[in-house]
Amino acid sequence: MLAFMAALAAGIGGLVLLAVSGWFLTGAALAAGSGAAAIAAFNYLIPSAAIRGLAVLRTAARYGERLWSHEAALQALAELRGTLFTRLAHADSRNAPDLASGDASAKLIGDIAALEDLVVRRPGIPAAAGTVLAGLAAVALAGWLAALTYIAVIVLLLALLAVLPQRLSTAPAAEAAAATAALRRMLVDYAAARSEIITYGLAPRVTALLVAEADRIDTAQRRLARIEAAGGGLLIAGSALAAAATLLASTASTPITALAVLAASASVEAVAAIARTASREAAVAEGIARLRVLLALPAFEAPSPAVTAVPPDAAQTVGLGTATFAPGSRIALTGESGSGKTRVLEALAGMRVPAHDLTLDGRPLAMLPAAAIRTQVAIAPQEPMLLAGSVADNLRLARPGIDAEAMERALRTAQLWERIARMPQGLDTVLSEDGGVLSGGERKRLAIARALLAERPWLLLDEPTEGLDAGTEEALVGALRNWLGVHGTGLIIASHRAAPLGLADVEVAVAAIPRAAG
Amino acid sequence: MRIYKAAGFAWTSDIAGAAIFAWGLASALEARLAGGTMAVMASGCALMMLGGLLRLASQVGAQVLGFDEGRLLAQARRAELFPRLLALAGPSGPALGATATLGIDHIAAEQARAARFDPVRQSATSAPLLVAAIVALQSWVAALILLATLIPFVIGMIFAGGAARQAADRQMAAITALSALYVDRIRHLPIIRHFAAEDRIARAAGRAAQDVAARTIAVLRAAFISSAVLEFFAALSVALVAVYCGFSLLGLLPFPAIEVLNYRSALFVLVLAPEFYLPMRRLAAAYHEKQLGEAAEKALADLPQPSQRPARAASVLLRGVIVEWPGHRIGPVSLELGAQGLVCITGPTGSGKTSLLAAIAGQVAPSKGAIATLPAEAIAWAGQVPLLLPTTLGDNLRLGKPEADDAAVTVAVSAVGLDALVARRAEGLNTAIDHHGAWLSGGERRRLGLARALIADRALLLADEPTADLDSASAERIIALLTSEARQRAIIVATHDERLVAAADTVIAL
Repeated sequence: MLAFMAALAAGIGGLVLLAVSGWFLTGAALAAGSGAAAIAAFNYLIPSAAIRGLAVLRTAARYGERLWSHEAALQALAELRGTLFTRLAHADSRNAPDLASGDASAKLIGDIAALEDLVVRRPGIPAAAGTVLAGLAAVALAGWLAALTYIAVIVLLLALLAVLPQRLSTAPAAEAAAATAALRRMLVDYAAARSEIITYGLAPRVTALLVAEADRIDTAQRRLARIEAAGGGLLIAGSALAAAATLLASTASTPITALAVLAASASVEAVAAIARTASREAAVAEGIARLRVLLALPAFEAPSPAVTAVPPDAAQTVGLGTATFAPGSRIALTGESGSGKTRVLEALAGMRVPAHDLTLDGRPLAMLPAAAIRTQVAIAPQEPMLLAGSVADNLRLARPGIDAEAMERALRTAQLWERIARMPQGLDTVLSEDGGVLSGGERKRLAIARALLAERPWLLLDEPTEGLDAGTEEALVGALRNWLGVHGTGLIIASHRAAPLGLADVEVAVAAIPRAAG
Repeated sequence: MRIYKAAGFAWTSDIAGAAIFAWGLASALEARLAGGTMAVMASGCALMMLGGLLRLASQVGAQVLGFDEGRLLAQARRAELFPRLLALAGPSGPALGATATLGIDHIAAEQARAARFDPVRQSATSAPLLVAAIVALQSWVAALILLATLIPFVIGMIFAGGAARQAADRQMAAITALSALYVDRIRHLPIIRHFAAEDRIARAAGRAAQDVAARTIAVLRAAFISSAVLEFFAALSVALVAVYCGFSLLGLLPFPAIEVLNYRSALFVLVLAPEFYLPMRRLAAAYHEKQLGEAAEKALADLPQPSQRPARAASVLLRGVIVEWPGHRIGPVSLELGAQGLVCITGPTGSGKTSLLAAIAGQVAPSKGAIATLPAEAIAWAGQVPLLLPTTLGDNLRLGKPEADDAAVTVAVSAVGLDALVARRAEGLNTAIDHHGAWLSGGERRRLGLARALIADRALLLADEPTADLDSASAERIIALLTSEARQRAIIVATHDERLVAAADTVIAL
């Protein structure tokens, strides 16, 4: 509301400043022509003060408009980000929208940013309409004919600017978007084949293909730029037309005519705000549609119960096909690569829809809510999935209220303590995206430490010793065996290396687990 | 660039239209005031329309020319950047997603700056002076008033504008960081949910968004002061000109009149006065484009140069080679390979097998140690996701040796077990392929890359995971092929397939 009032004041302030100035000048000229008595009678103090006052008002109003509209937009958007994220976070991994790729999540962020633009502009529309109405009121002083021609010009401009650009730009906008998407795919595909391109000297040929696609974008963009430019040009010509028509149609005195003409000319600018927002609305409509998918997720009602360490007596059995395993069992999943070991582990972790016949406490996994699965298993996945943040942040993810001592114990078991302790910032060392400063094997072990800290009855390890030399592997396997024994934790492990498989007492071939029905 | 600066002139030429409009308006109103004929008024109105149309032409022209200038810049950038992006193999090169961002979004940002900001900036210095000059023809005092407001305006902009610029840059950095945080958290939602940490993470993410919003608002306060300074002086200049002209007409100036002003001149000057600050307002409106463009230019400038190829040699020799990049380190690796033999580089995902292979190909410079390798023309590469160009299957197979005859192609195709696939297509080798290889599976595409490397018939064959994505039988066949080929040429493969490792003459474990 504040933003709207300020926008209106700014728009009308600018219009009235010019109009009153014109009226004042004309009045002054008229008075000057009529002799000294007229000059003495001409009240110049009020208009000249009004002119200066309007200059200040306009400035203050613009400042207020900008600040308040941005304030409202930013707060609304911060809230929207929070709400969307909360809803998304509380969805079930097994059926939530898949945003794991950087592209999908970046697009989501981009959609929200596009909305910001819209929210910033929104108070401008009624304010612009108000400015046009003020212009109409000023023009109406020059007679009903002037008012009618002014309305005709405004309606014509609105029709041309709000409808035509959108219509004309649909095809080139789609073409530009398609060409951009194609170029993006090509760049990713060709970048993946860089070594091949260098070896066979194909860079000129591939560059030519890329440049041709980029030219397609430019050609479409050029059409869009022309349409946008034509819109702006129409507006300025429309402003001249409104002024000329008002002048010719005016039946009022010349000072009032001057006021009306300048008001007509200045108020047309406000049409631009309306037209521009109309065309932007179309551009962000697609983004909003994508966001709607997320907003359609069930509203988040109560915080999910925090999962703390599970007492041993609450541990449940795990069923892999027909075989059922008591808590504390140590199971190795076997099978060639690609046979579905990772899939079984991720399904047991509640991260994917199970493809196999899996049960927890005798109940089919697919029927169980995510919250029930979570109390039982903790996974160190194949891809470590570390968050951007510190080492401690990543470990704290496992469970609330983990202290430095617990972190040290878990890191020692994972054979990572020495490495972390050596780093100048220790546990507070910041990992960039995907674990940056740590090597592949170290990231893996950090993920193992995190899974240990969750202290759940079952530990799932997917290729835990990949990237380790034999010595470290042996130490890690020994420490894990010790840890499993002390905590009575069950283990389900997938690995193609002999040492970690030695942790298991029993082997289950993934191929032998029946596929889930349906 | 030839047409460079034309857009800037077009923006400046907008002033001519504005002046004609103002002159027409002033003449018509003067005629009305003096009780002139309808014809005089109509000709004034015609001038107003002419002015409006000229402004239309100038502004459309300026934007279209500006687009073309931006396009020329983008074309020059792409011609230089695309080959460089393609030459950056191994860990020093940007990630795949980042490659697309550099090649599309960053160039687009620079293009937008050249199209929208640069011409306006160019005209922002000349156009106000032109307005002042035109105003001076009618009233040099009014021109002086306009120019005089410029002095406090410039001082105000130096103080407010400088702070605003820094604030705007900081704001952009904060928003970028926040977006990166959300992207990271959204990508990792499955593990966050697994550990039941969604409440904690969502609360932290919400707080971060609120923090950035609150800070951004504080920052914007400063930024908007600079636009308020601009607005204030724009409005003040109009107000001062109006008051001066009015008092001058009335003969009530508090100082002796230094010029005689008639109604037409006064009105002309008043109508033209807002144009004085218009170019600077356009400049302020395009500031965001400048910011994004500069950030993009910096990102593109930070892109590393492709490394120099190591010394040419007749065979591969690595001595204590270490390849390092932030957070990762491969080696030291030593290797000597003659004209024949099969070497396997093995190690877990992410351990740097592909990067070491690229180093052996001479595409990545080691940070320590010495590499001697064959020249690029003597090396064939079969990658994980082989290149597919939008041409025929046959052409794609011949990328390494366009002059290869049909017999050689047929032999290679059946050697990798793709003969059945080719036979299934009605067009055979003439079947068209698009660049993402719609009808090829991952394993078929991989074997196509290997067939291409065999057709290229080079002394050193480098293959990256040649047996991944293949069923057991096909993998066995490829392993047999590689061991037999290794009797005729040197082959180095990166693999974690134990059967292939078992068949190797030398194994390098990372």
